[in-house]
Amino acid sequence: MPLLRVKDLVKTYQVGDVAVRALRGVTLEVEKGEFVAVVGPSGSGKSTFMHILGCLDRPTSGEYWLEDRDVSRLNDDELSAIRNRQIGFVFQGFNLLARTSAVENVELPLLYGPAKVGAAERRKRASAALQAVGLADRAEHHPNQLSGGQQQRVAIARALLNNPSILFADEPTGNLDSRTSVEVMDIFQRLKDERGITIVLITHEQQVAEYGSRIIAFKDGQIVSDRANDRQRLAMGELAMLPAG
Amino acid sequence: MTVGSSLTIALRALSRNKLQTALTTIGMTIGVATVLTMIALGTGAEAAIEQQVRAAGMNLIVVTAGNYKTKTEDDGGGVVDHQARLIPDPQSLIPDVLLAGFHPEDDPMEKHDHPTARQRLGDTEAGLGAAATLTPADADAIRQLRGVQFVSEGIHENVHATAGDKRWFTRLHGGDVELPSIRRSWTFTAGRFFSAREQSRLAPVAVLGAFAAEKLFGTANPVGQQILLWKQPFQVVGVVGSGSWMVAPSAGDDQFDAVYVPFTTIHKLLNLSKLNDITITAASTGEVTRVSKDVTELLRTRHGIGMKDPDDFTVGTQARQSLARGGLRPEVARAVVGNVSGLEKVTLEQLGRTLDRATKTMTALLGSIAAVSLIVGGIGIMNIMLLSVTERTREIGIRRAVGARAGDVLRQFLAEAIALSVIGGVAGIALGAVASGIIAQMLKWSTSVSPASIALSFAVAAAVGVFFGYYPARQASRLDPIDSLRYE
Repeated sequence: MPLLRVKDLVKTYQVGDVAVRALRGVTLEVEKGEFVAVVGPSGSGKSTFMHILGCLDRPTSGEYWLEDRDVSRLNDDELSAIRNRQIGFVFQGFNLLARTSAVENVELPLLYGPAKVGAAERRKRASAALQAVGLADRAEHHPNQLSGGQQQRVAIARALLNNPSILFADEPTGNLDSRTSVEVMDIFQRLKDERGITIVLITHEQQVAEYGSRIIAFKDGQIVSDRANDRQRLAMGELAMLPAG
Repeated sequence: MTVGSSLTIALRALSRNKLQTALTTIGMTIGVATVLTMIALGTGAEAAIEQQVRAAGMNLIVVTAGNYKTKTEDDGGGVVDHQARLIPDPQSLIPDVLLAGFHPEDDPMEKHDHPTARQRLGDTEAGLGAAATLTPADADAIRQLRGVQFVSEGIHENVHATAGDKRWFTRLHGGDVELPSIRRSWTFTAGRFFSAREQSRLAPVAVLGAFAAEKLFGTANPVGQQILLWKQPFQVVGVVGSGSWMVAPSAGDDQFDAVYVPFTTIHKLLNLSKLNDITITAASTGEVTRVSKDVTELLRTRHGIGMKDPDDFTVGTQARQSLARGGLRPEVARAVVGNVSGLEKVTLEQLGRTLDRATKTMTALLGSIAAVSLIVGGIGIMNIMLLSVTERTREIGIRRAVGARAGDVLRQFLAEAIALSVIGGVAGIALGAVASGIIAQMLKWSTSVSPASIALSFAVAAAVGVFFGYYPARQASRLDPIDSLRYE
């Protein structure tokens, strides 16, 4: 049973009088524990695809099954609940709340969770998540006091707080230098290997896509290729070769 | 998401922008302060009316010695002496008996510079209050009656008061320590009233009315100084002035152009035993009629007055006075007062009406200021919240991405708006309390900031927050998650 299954996914935007067809019938299955890299030029529809998979948007037509649930017809509140519990996001621009400490940023998903979590418990779990990404000593720093790599790690800690089964990363290395990019990829590969979290990475760079165990190429709103990556780059090994930052 | 976490998020968001928060709340602060001041002034005015009414003596009963017998009741006219039969044969008078119940004042043979009771009662010229029928024992008996609040014995004379080289002809009042409780409009501008201890020791102490004090001492503080009354030295212990803006001390006003000493001291000094009058206050204005009836019954019994005979004293109330002034004959007036239980209230309302009108004008004025500043404050909050929604579009996107529902966003922004207005409201309550205090000082009104008025101001603030915060909050909740995440 695949973790995620889409069939004939179509998304059409109305921009003025012109109908823009962002997705033109996408069919795909992703198994639990895969590291899928979605690669394609800008405008290929890969971001739209990720938004629908990430329950931020709904398809115009087609089916989307997430863990045996047809989520393409769910209402806004139900989608919010899925985003909160089953999905984590990492963005290119980090998307941390400004003027808010790292630990408060990380505990954000707990505020919207189903269970009432006390302030002390929230702080405890957020601190633990920060420690897991190696930022325990930066808990009270605000985003503008952190480097890009650190900010992205805070974002990853936030994404993982509710133990999601799937993590969506939209150009996560776009604003990072090469070493921190590799570090972030290392975190993703570890999450996949150690915790079995499914990773969906969106990128326009072929080299970044090479970290995935499977590479799906997008063009003009359709999948043009879908192959297992037999030459997967391993971030841990590369880090050892790189000079220390 | 719980209300608690909505509030946590809202307060965090507000604390990130303290200056903006502070500026936004000013409108609310002024609005709520005005509301609170308005309520305080309203209730204060009510209290002031009540106070003025009491100061004017609406709950006052004055029992005056003597009574004019009307022609319908007595052909002879003048005052009837019912106690005459109590006066013993002068031959049988021995000092012990004299001390036990009689006084030389009652004795026609005694050499005394005051007219005897018999002389006075037969003398219509002596007038009310001059008859010697009321005793301190009567006053003590009245103190035991139900519904009686305060009682003061009264002796009134005219006197030359001397301080150094200054002399002033003024009224001398012998009173009881309870007198200041009866004269509610009094304030002590210096010192105090004489004490119960001084009264029982017949101490030569005096309290000056403000006007008399000014005549005798000018601007100097008379407390601790000596004055001479009948060439006897009296120590001044206090100066009493008017606490009501309606009454200013003036020459010959009987209250502040006056000297007060313990009635016991006067009794001793002038060798007297009787009282000119007894002043009583009823605990409630509604009971004045009943209390005055009870006093009448009591005194008739004590004085041994037969069923058909008229009183040897006169019980006066404010209400009866106003009737009598209208030309009613006393017995008719008494019948009317006795049968109209709400009469005191009628006059009370008349007195209050003038003040009430002034209060209403002020309340209307403050009310419109409050309404305008609350609306302006509310629009200020709405404006800042709309701006905030635009400014924080990305934040909304982030929150939506980690699982916030549209309703959560709505609640957050609504909570922020309410928090803004409530913070402003709390500051307004503080400001309003201070403003009421200042106005109270200026107008000498007892403006009262009650818990109820604070609760109301608080509720008004929160309501303004909900009303003006709802639209921006709804805008925020309707933003598309993807668009807001992309918003730069």
